[in-house]
Amino acid sequence: MKHTAPLLLTSALLLTLGSTAHAKLQVVATLADFGALATQIGGDHVDVTVLAKPTEDEHFVDARPSFVVKLRNADVLIEGGAELELGWLPPLLQNARNEKIEIGAPGRVVASQGIILMNVPVGATRAAGDVHALGNPHYMIDPIIAKTVAQRIAQSFAACDGANAAIYDTNYAGFAGTIDTKLQEWGKAMLPFKGASVVAYHDSWPYLAHRFGVTIDTFLEPKPGIPPSPSHLAEVIEKMNARKIKAIIVEPFQNRKIAEKVAASTGARIVDAAQYPGALPNTETYVALIDALVSRLAAALGEQ
Amino acid sequence: MNTSVLFQTILGLALLSVGAASAQAPPAGPSSAPATAAQQTGDLQSLKAQMLQMQTGLRALQAEHRREVADLKAQVQNLHRTIANLRGTAATPGASAAGCAEPAPATSSDAPFPTGDASVVAAPAARGPQAAAPAAFPTTDASVTSAPPAAAAPRLTGPITIAGGARSVLNISFDGQFSAATSSQKNLDALEVGDHDPQQRGFNARNLELALDGAVDPYFEGFANVVFKLDNDNETSVEVEEAFMQTTTLPWNLQAKGGQFFAPLGRVNQQHPHAWDFVDAPLVSGRLLGPDGLRGTGAQVAWLTPLPWYSQLSLAVQNGNGGTGYSFRNGGDDGIFYGRTTFDRRLGGVEDLVFVPRLENSVDLSPTQTLLVGASGAFGPNDTGTDARTEIYGVDVFYKWKSAHSEGGWPFVKWQSEALMRRFEAGRGVADAFPVGETFDDWGAYSQIVWGFRKGWTGALRTDFLHMEESAVTDDPQRQSRWRLSPNVTWFPTEFSKFRLQYNHDFLEANHFLGSDDADSLFLQFEFSLGAHAAHKF
Repeated sequence: MKHTAPLLLTSALLLTLGSTAHAKLQVVATLADFGALATQIGGDHVDVTVLAKPTEDEHFVDARPSFVVKLRNADVLIEGGAELELGWLPPLLQNARNEKIEIGAPGRVVASQGIILMNVPVGATRAAGDVHALGNPHYMIDPIIAKTVAQRIAQSFAACDGANAAIYDTNYAGFAGTIDTKLQEWGKAMLPFKGASVVAYHDSWPYLAHRFGVTIDTFLEPKPGIPPSPSHLAEVIEKMNARKIKAIIVEPFQNRKIAEKVAASTGARIVDAAQYPGALPNTETYVALIDALVSRLAAALGEQ
Repeated sequence: MNTSVLFQTILGLALLSVGAASAQAPPAGPSSAPATAAQQTGDLQSLKAQMLQMQTGLRALQAEHRREVADLKAQVQNLHRTIANLRGTAATPGASAAGCAEPAPATSSDAPFPTGDASVVAAPAARGPQAAAPAAFPTTDASVTSAPPAAAAPRLTGPITIAGGARSVLNISFDGQFSAATSSQKNLDALEVGDHDPQQRGFNARNLELALDGAVDPYFEGFANVVFKLDNDNETSVEVEEAFMQTTTLPWNLQAKGGQFFAPLGRVNQQHPHAWDFVDAPLVSGRLLGPDGLRGTGAQVAWLTPLPWYSQLSLAVQNGNGGTGYSFRNGGDDGIFYGRTTFDRRLGGVEDLVFVPRLENSVDLSPTQTLLVGASGAFGPNDTGTDARTEIYGVDVFYKWKSAHSEGGWPFVKWQSEALMRRFEAGRGVADAFPVGETFDDWGAYSQIVWGFRKGWTGALRTDFLHMEESAVTDDPQRQSRWRLSPNVTWFPTEFSKFRLQYNHDFLEANHFLGSDDADSLFLQFEFSLGAHAAHKF
């Protein structure tokens, strides 16, 4: 009995050491969209861990201590950058003590790098709410941008796991090809609604609007991150009636009741949308998510 | 680039015309008349080759031209977007989207939907991530000379950005915390135990905090928290609460820090008042660790163990002197601590330092629930006797549930509890002037629950209990056993401001010198944060 404790500890240590000597590339993605791309490109050669839940507000994720351990064991970290994870990633990285995922290392993918962000504010002031000084970080919803991010991920995987470089490259090419094909489908589905206006709860959708030619410039939030006020909602309702706006996009973590009220006074339809694969039913992959978004949006707009 | 293509084409055309001229030239003399069929075939072949070369040249020219047009188009789109961004203010984020150049979708159902878009990806697709330019920085010369994106370009001559993020070398923030207080106890400073707590009726400004942090170099990160506070005479005092450097690249999962910092004793002791869920410090922390908590100048090593869950073992060593080393080498007010005239003990050797070991473990109970459990201690000498020592033991537990559908971090429930035990050997003071030496076994605990019931709103309740060992000889009001009940409600208009209304009911137990007493207090705390909002640790 006396030797049980040291024995347990030793076996625990051995187990851990054993698991760190893994063959698979250990990938941590801050958000589920990066995780879905990583799975697509890495296939069986990677273990993907996603930190934020696809249904929660990605700006306010708790820096859970278990994330420190995940980051400590990571070969590759994929983050959005552009201040998206500013509120929770830095303290995790301070504690992770992992050189492999330092800024500049091949194991660190900052997905926003090289992406031209939309809506870069001229003067970033918090009087305007939760404004992102570097531009709107919800860029992954644009499939063309997703292709570039996928390529970055493939390049990082290839750099960290040279033996499977060709596989990652092939998987990336396959993904890009699928996107190119699906874009024809999505473009066709959205074509009848070119120029249509849509209301959203939060300004998460400029890239979707830009890609498919819809206008999403009215929001239930008076300013980003500021809860809807009755006077602002009255203005939105007035605007919706005047412009005959018939769809309101709501994300899983947003207050659907408020959207329902607005919908009731305007006859608009609520589009339950999400930015992250897995947040809506049967949307585990990136393509499935965009499929769902396009079909839901087209259905809502097609009803009028 | 295309000059060479052009040159080739001109060359091709020139060759062709020469060839054509020679082919079309009529026989100029008898010597040329007997031209053989073989010669003719050769001429034809060279002509064919020349034609082909010309064709290739033209095609290359055409492709080059197409590329250039596409490039220019992309540039124009970029410029449009830049202009739209410049026009659109932060208050109308949607405006620039509407102001973008012709959006990507095809105009007729026959034309293929575009699968590339040079206006959204700055780096050419073939380029590796290492070589990529900073985000949103166009890679073409035209945009640099005409209108580079306003806010995205790093400017060497510009002011230090305080927005945080990738461009800054330093995060700066200022936090102003104030409270309006009323209490049935006239001398609030006798009732409240923490140095940053409200200390008088009326308005209090006890925590005006300037915080700086950033990467020092590839090896260290630096942190500094300088606190300004106004005392009850409205005199400003400055306190270097924390200022330390911390390693980023030590091997074997180690991390070291050095400087002035909070000792890793328990949970609330390591948090700045800005992160507290209550207006004031818990009784145990104020009375057993000191009004400022336990912090000091020293060094610390922390090891993230290889266990599969979060398990960190740390050891801090600090001087542990003065008011921030309250239970250790602390001379006390006017040289008196717990009735004893204190020694002004200088640091003799390692045994005079304060050692603070801590082990903390955390597991995720479910995707929405996290548990953090810690055990710590602090060991060192105190100034009431030549070999008087203090031992502090503490355990802490923190639980949090946060909805899987949380917006802005709400809704959530947090439960936090800490228990501390202190064994304080009180000597007889200088020249053995105090009649007896005593050993005080003091202990206490608090438990608090915070419920974030709707976005921006929390309700919280804390119970506090403190037991100070009774003595017939040591007459010190700080040694009164007591308990406290504190409900509060907090409204966060955003994460950068808050208003908190808290009620305290204090009950002080009778002891050998003091009668029992109770007090009711009401606080309205208000707070603002400017600049980088340092991410909160869990």
